[in-house]
Amino acid sequence: MCDTCGCGDSNNITIHPRHNYNHDHNDNHDHDHPHEHSGNHDHTHTHSVGGVPYTHSHAHGHESIKSREIQLNVDVLSDNNSLAGKNRNHFKQNQILALNLVSSPGSGKTTILEKTIQALIGKHKIYVIEGDQQTLLDADRIEKSGAPAVQINTGAGCHLDAKMIDGALKNLTPEPNSILFIENVGNLVCPALFDLGEMKRVVVISVTEGEDKPLKYPYMFQTSHLCIINKSDLLPYVDFRVDEAIRYARSLNPELEFLVVSARSGAGMQEWFNWLEKLLNSN
Amino acid sequence: MEVITLAEKEAEKANAASISEITIEIGTLSGVEANAFETALAFLSTNTMLQNSRVQYILTKGDGFCPACSLHFEMNSRMDTCPRCRSFPSEVKGGDAFKVHSLLVDN
Repeated sequence: MCDTCGCGDSNNITIHPRHNYNHDHNDNHDHDHPHEHSGNHDHTHTHSVGGVPYTHSHAHGHESIKSREIQLNVDVLSDNNSLAGKNRNHFKQNQILALNLVSSPGSGKTTILEKTIQALIGKHKIYVIEGDQQTLLDADRIEKSGAPAVQINTGAGCHLDAKMIDGALKNLTPEPNSILFIENVGNLVCPALFDLGEMKRVVVISVTEGEDKPLKYPYMFQTSHLCIINKSDLLPYVDFRVDEAIRYARSLNPELEFLVVSARSGAGMQEWFNWLEKLLNSN
Repeated sequence: MEVITLAEKEAEKANAASISEITIEIGTLSGVEANAFETALAFLSTNTMLQNSRVQYILTKGDGFCPACSLHFEMNSRMDTCPRCRSFPSEVKGGDAFKVHSLLVDN
């Protein structure tokens, strides 16, 4: 359950282990045995002493109900934040460059990752954690492009949190000196509030969206380090003004870096790879 | 839901039988919509220790600070420009918390 917007149910999170894709097996292991514990164990007993019945009372003093105040002052997201810190330490100790990719649905995160993996897999060890509400489709795509991937299905949930990453890491076990891409659930609202322990946050927007997106979802742009503007090959056909989008985003976050790319055509992708290399060298 | 888990954990730690009241602090700049949260909490507290609890809210105002002219002002959104010198962005100094403030528990 997302405390920030009220969506979802945390009991429905599924982390799909690797090597579990495309294995359909229809094994009918039905377990149809209800264990009912109705709990009503009747027992009869006469209340009598020496044959003389007596009425018995359940006299007990009503202890006064004591109300106590517990002062907590606990940040609701503190559990997430401490787990994120644990993830971050793990990444640092093992020199794993962990990046959290956030965007609205359909901006091209998965395509960017596919092309990145195809280009860099010969040179670097790359791992991917995929977050989607449903399906293994994205993890399948990533594995086809050559990187091990674990899929997290959040059910009705709208974001990944640090605990899910912790769970996925146990399964994915990325080697030291590697890159870990975490593709968050497509949503520009709640993922902004949840630190996963990443080193950098990358927000992806595409030119088919409005250039005013940074103003509409300020928190996401304020908490990101790099903004990738994707689908630049479509610029001739849309009204998206790159300069305006950058101006809006910089007004919120003057430190934000920008890359204009087309994952489809490959334009600008080299600059993205250079950005990654620079981080790896400083890691 | 994190708030419910947290409250139940603390109540159990204090050997309390029930929670009669919970006080939750939500800042204007916390990113949490108080109305949406209230609805969600009412819905999800069924069959938990918070089912019959009173819920009190402390709604804190955003505290903005303009680094350009050093003015503290009430910030309603992170997008607010400084009301005195119009510069942007301002720093968030408070009103961004989302906390379980306290519990009232019974033995």
